[in-house]
Amino acid sequence: MKLLNYLNPIAHLGEKKYSVLSPLLVMVLFCVSSEVFAYDIAKNPMIVGSYAIFIPVALIIYFAFREGIKGGLIAVVITILYYFYIMYTRHYKGAELDSGIETTIILALLDFLLAGIIGWLKQTIDQLIERESDERRRLEAIIQQLPVGVLITNKKGQLIHQNKQVEKILGRKFPANYTFGKDRTILNGTFNGKLVKPSESPLAYVITKGRAITEKEYTLEFDENRKKYVQVSASAIRNKQGKIIAAAQIIADITNQKEIEKQKDDFLSMASHELKTPITSMKMFIDLQSRQLQNIKSEKAKYFNNRIKDQANRLKELTNDLLDVSRIQTGKLRFNKEECNLTEIVKDTVEGLSGTTTTHTIQLKGASKYSILGDKYRIYQVLVNLITNAIKYSPNGKKINVEIRKIKQNVVVSIQDFGIGIRKEQQTRIFDRLYQVTDPNEKTFPGLGLGLYISKEIIEKHKGKIWVESEFGKQSTFFFSLPLVSKNK
Amino acid sequence: MNKKILVVDDDQDILEPLSIILEDEGYVVSTTPKGEMTYTKVREFKPDLVLLDLLLSGSDGRKICKTLKEDKATKHLPIIMMSAHPGADADSRNCGADGFIAKPFELEDLLKILKKKLH
Repeated sequence: MKLLNYLNPIAHLGEKKYSVLSPLLVMVLFCVSSEVFAYDIAKNPMIVGSYAIFIPVALIIYFAFREGIKGGLIAVVITILYYFYIMYTRHYKGAELDSGIETTIILALLDFLLAGIIGWLKQTIDQLIERESDERRRLEAIIQQLPVGVLITNKKGQLIHQNKQVEKILGRKFPANYTFGKDRTILNGTFNGKLVKPSESPLAYVITKGRAITEKEYTLEFDENRKKYVQVSASAIRNKQGKIIAAAQIIADITNQKEIEKQKDDFLSMASHELKTPITSMKMFIDLQSRQLQNIKSEKAKYFNNRIKDQANRLKELTNDLLDVSRIQTGKLRFNKEECNLTEIVKDTVEGLSGTTTTHTIQLKGASKYSILGDKYRIYQVLVNLITNAIKYSPNGKKINVEIRKIKQNVVVSIQDFGIGIRKEQQTRIFDRLYQVTDPNEKTFPGLGLGLYISKEIIEKHKGKIWVESEFGKQSTFFFSLPLVSKNK
Repeated sequence: MNKKILVVDDDQDILEPLSIILEDEGYVVSTTPKGEMTYTKVREFKPDLVLLDLLLSGSDGRKICKTLKEDKATKHLPIIMMSAHPGADADSRNCGADGFIAKPFELEDLLKILKKKLH
């Protein structure tokens, strides 16, 4: 084998297979040399030295491949020397010479041309192979440095590459030639609480189904007390023709993230309880106070009590908003969706809020029944937010128009105020977290700037849309649309 | 006869105003800050309705609700759960409560629910 390797003119490139070019060039050279050989034999079959024509031919190939153009030149020198040797022997043996130095020069030039071509080809191949191996080395370095585990298999699911992170995350390496989907799994992983079978491993899945997996979460159980959470993405690697040639999997350790999330959740739950309990108590005492004040003549005391009540309610709303935002960010905002009549919710909200404002009249248009699938409380929350915003941002306006109508398969609710309006450039940003509109005199309005952000999240989680149309300094209309429940279900 | 309501909450600052308000509304009220006392109170006080906090320090309101709902003698007793915890609404339904009100509540909302369940 070693000998064969040595004879392989491109063995030095680490390439075990012979290139397609190699046999082709050998064939060309063979034809050329045969020609020369036939000519020589025809001249004098007894000249043994003629057979030696194959020596320079072999040398040309060999050196050209090994050393490029430089090798080709060496081969040319050898050829010339060889021809001088032939001429010398013929002369020595008194043979007739009908080819002179010119033939030798022409042949040497042809040799040089051939060697040049071979050398050039060899260099090109060299560069290509080098570039590819450079690429491979670069990729290898990147893969090893990645903070996530990387597994690469061939099209049969057999492991061909894994980085150090795999061992770090899984606690052990996959054995060489391990086949995903076939071999026994080396650790117990669960998805949604169910044990993952080898045939359901992400790599086996992407190879058989051809579809990618993105950020799927698995739980790895090492023993009863030690668990790890990983996020797995996998996809098949295809060639130009779209055929699967390999598959790659990325494993990210999200255990820490999960723990932080849990702590955040626990804190949120605790904070929610701890903040809301005193507010509950406070509100009840205020109600009790109100009842007591009914028997007392002091208008001032009643006024003060009402102000305390307003502020307690504001505190309640702010607490709710803060908790909602945290829940949105952790993806924990839950909805109890049921079929409900949106018109009724809008009507109730308008009636409820009409009682709280002395400055504005809220007009409701549209009375047909529109059934939607939604969380009543959350939709109500959106409406309250939009209507109180309309009141808040139209200090000089007197009217708020609320309209409900059907557009195609959606029901659209609009809330129009005649207040400060919103500049064009602000209109896209008002649904961002913590964004607040300022009025033309740069006056700011109270609030945390969370309401529209929460409303947008709620509406979008109901497969709806929320948007605004406004003329700066004149009016603003907020719209939201929700899909109607189809009747022929 | 005036309807009787048992209020169970581990927070005295909730129990105090709540009992005053409910008495004001004409109900006969008994309170306990201890979850495990609920069963004794139910037996002795014989309430028409229990207003139960979802998570009481020490014992779990959901468990109490479940136990009362599984007992033949107390199965028909309406239980309204209240809580300041997020997601408690679903929890209360899971343990068989007849109603739920989130803290902080509006007084009118609470009274509305009580009226509905007591008539």
